[in-house]
Formats: sequence, structure tokens, C-alpha cells
Amino acid sequence: MSKLVLKFESAVLKEIAVGQKEVSIGRSPDNGIVIDNPAVSNYHARVFTEEGRLMLQDFGSLNGTFVNGQRVKMIMLKPGDSVAIGKHTIVVTDSVEVRAKALDNGEMKAAVPKINETVMLDTKDRRDFLEKIAAVGESAQPAPGRMKIPTLVVRNGNTDRAEYALNDKLTVVGKSAMATVKLQGWFKPKAAAQINRKDDNSYYIGAADKTPSVNGEKITHPTKLASGDLIEVAGVELEFVVRD
Amino acid sequence: MEFGARSDPGRVRGNNEDSFRLAPEMGLFVLSDGMGGLEAGEVASRLAVETVVEHCQQAEADPALAVFGKQIEGVSEASNRIASAVRLANSEIYENARNRGGNAAMGATIVVARCLADRVCIAHVGDSRAYLLRAGQLDQLTEDHSFVADQVRRGMITPEEASRSRMHNVLTRALGIDPQVEVDVTEELLMDDDIYLVCSDGLFRELSGAQITGVLEETDDPQRAASRLVDLANQAGGGDNITVIVLRNSPKSGRPFAKIGRWFKGSGEDQESETQS
Repeated sequence: MSKLVLKFESAVLKEIAVGQKEVSIGRSPDNGIVIDNPAVSNYHARVFTEEGRLMLQDFGSLNGTFVNGQRVKMIMLKPGDSVAIGKHTIVVTDSVEVRAKALDNGEMKAAVPKINETVMLDTKDRRDFLEKIAAVGESAQPAPGRMKIPTLVVRNGNTDRAEYALNDKLTVVGKSAMATVKLQGWFKPKAAAQINRKDDNSYYIGAADKTPSVNGEKITHPTKLASGDLIEVAGVELEFVVRD
Repeated sequence: MEFGARSDPGRVRGNNEDSFRLAPEMGLFVLSDGMGGLEAGEVASRLAVETVVEHCQQAEADPALAVFGKQIEGVSEASNRIASAVRLANSEIYENARNRGGNAAMGATIVVARCLADRVCIAHVGDSRAYLLRAGQLDQLTEDHSFVADQVRRGMITPEEASRSRMHNVLTRALGIDPQVEVDVTEELLMDDDIYLVCSDGLFRELSGAQITGVLEETDDPQRAASRLVDLANQAGGGDNITVIVLRNSPKSGRPFAKIGRWFKGSGEDQESETQS
């Protein structure tokens, strides 16, 4: 019986036997092999047996499925084949001792230092793969241009502009020279509130010299913003809007 | 910004591969943890911190100084400057390693903190960290570029499993390995009484977040806090080099409005009458 061995770089993450039942591969949690990575489609590919042969089919995934470096739609698999999906690799084998063999080959040993020494993971495989993806015109990460940039629309209060595009990692609401949303008026704080953009492009509002309210409720901790949320702080009302 | 710093080889290693530089006149604080055999780790981390400080000094003198690498959108000029400095440090270490010839692997982590009037800009590569302690809560501002941190982000292992993992010291990103490096940059609002902590892994492998918070809250003196953190990490085993930089944004008592406010509030109280007499 064949086995599929899911690896990330040199580490073995999962081994799955393929028998009569097919094994689906994708980002969605109901797959047989789940790869939680933005470069992987929800239902990316499947491995199944047909007339005693092990087959791989790509479900028209965005970033493709590569067998031994070639992008494939449908192909027969044989032991030793290496299937690349996103940054992960699935090795086809009919032996059970993959993990042990990997250790014997020094694959894992090389990565695990003897003492507490810090070492660098060899990223060559990953680089090669990213280049391959670039070559087919797709990117593993959402391109910045494709991300929606939310807007803060001033509903009430004195500010220097009517609305602000939230481009920045840190947006300050206040009188400070570096504030994006500049408050006008004598007794306004230097920094009334802050909005932080996280790496996954979500936005959180947090307190500074004042504690803002979101939809009428004072926040107690940094709070994730959703389109339509109404923020009140230091006498201004701002609506967080994500436009299509 | 008040600051304090200390570096210590720990109780297991014979040498100290960590380096740090403080340039308070620029609000610039830099820490690096080197790796590589013989003296390569020490050379790499020293080269890293020195290159960063030097590049920022040159940029102070000449604001038109070219930014090394691609401009990062959505962050301040100061953030782009420190990212530029980190990329330059990467090339310096990479070139140095090549000139040494052979397979002399040489690398380093880095954390750069740059304090501006209203914010702190942080650039980093590798598994050294920056934390912010605000209102009793300790937040890690940097994401480790390590194999286990990657696995945690992918949901494959829990943070607890990560801290026990044998792979914890395997980095996915470091300075000096490739001709180019991707630098992570983040910005945080700077508020009164904020405490920023920059440290190498020798600290957070030995001490829990609660222990670190305890020390930082115990004293107002950043130098005493830095020393105490190193002592505690040594007591806990000192398995690796330990370096910490502690920054404290003490409320500026010299601000005119603060003074007037105090004067109004304080009139009639003992403290104020003392100063008036």
C-alpha cells in the first residue's frame, strides 16, 4: 500500500495511507490532508486509486500542483515522486519507515543541532518553489494591490480632512505632529486613540490618552474593526468603512 | 526615554555572541545575536549592530542618504531607515562570510528600536524579540523567524509544544545567510510609562512572561531592571548568552502644562508648600 508523507522543508508532518478511499488535499479542514497556507486552494487536489494505479488530480488550483518540478493536471504517481503544493511537499512512498529513514539519512539530524546552538534552516527548497510559483504568474501571498484598504470617514467633529485611507501600520488619532487623523481644538489630546494594521490586514483600535467607544461601547482591550463600525473618541465620530 | 542594558555570556557558553549598541541621541537601540563557529558569531553580531548605528548616523547627517532596498509602504520614514540599515547589515555579514571563504557559516539576528516623539519603530530579523509592557500587560511585538514559530502560525503545534521542541533554535530567517533579506517592521504608539524590552533568546528561554513582567514592574530604574533580568535568567540556568535592553518612557515632568496642573492640584498640600517655601 502506498503512503503519502506530508513534509514542510525537512520535517515530516503527517503520513497518510491511500487505499480504496481517495485522499483530498487542500486548505479546507474537511480534506484528508489539510495544508493551512494561503498558497493552497480550499480543494486543491486529490490522490486516488484507479485500476490499481495511484493517480493525482489537480482541481484547477490557483497556484498549481507540481510533481517532480512539473506542473500537472492529472498524473500517475509512483513511489519516490515528490508532489509540491504551496510550500509543502508530499512524498509518495510504499515503505512505512519514511520517518526513520529520513533520520538515518541525516535529513533531520542536520536540522537538529547537537547542543543549544542556533542554526539556520536551509531555505533552498522553499526559494526554488517560490520562484516556480512566480514563474507561473501567481504569488503565494496576497499582493498588496489586491488588498482592500479601509477608510475612516469622519461623521462628526473637527478634523483636518473628511476621510482617511488607512494605509499605515500605525494610525494615530490626535493632535500629535505624526497623527494621521489630526484633531483640531484646544484641549484635544496628542494621541487620543490608535489603529494598528496587523500582518493579516485586520485592523484593531486601541486606547491611548482616551478610551474610544466602538458602536457605543467603551473598549476594554484592542478591538478588531469591521466595516460599518462607528468609533467615538475625543469628541469625534469616525466610521470604519471597507469599500468594494 | 530612560534606558538600561546588560549582556552576559550565561552559565554554559564560554563566549558571548550577543552584541548591542545604544545611541540615545538618535533614540536608537540595537541588539543582535550571532551564530557561527569559532569567532564568527561574535563578528556577525558586532558587524550587525555597528552597521545599523553607522547607517543611521550617516542618515542623520545626510537625510537624502539612499535607502538600501525596497521602500516599505505604510510605515514612517524612520522605519524605512532602520529597515535600510538592517538590509545593509545583512550584506556586510554576507560579504564578510564570503571573504572568510570555505563553508564558514555566519549569521545573526537583529532587533532595532527607534524611538520618535509619538511612536516606536521596530525592525527585526530572526528570533530576538521586542516586548511592550503597558498597563501591566506584556505584549510580544515581534514574530520569531524560526521553524517552530512557523509551525505555531500554521496551527501544527501549540506554543507549549514549541517551547519544548528540539527544533526551537532553527531559524528560517537571519542576517548574513542570503545576499538579500526580508525585514519585518512594525510601529507602536509611545505612551507615558511604556516599557519596551529588547532581548536575545537567552532571556525568554529561561524566564516566563510573568517573571519578566514582575521584574519590569518592580523598579523604575531601567538599568536595574536589565541587570535583574540577566541575573534571574542566569539563576534559571543561563543556557545561552543573555542580552537585554530596557527602555522606559517616563512622563516628562518638565512639561509646562504638567507643572501648572500639579501646581493647581497641589496647592494646599504639604508637598507643594514645601516647594513654595
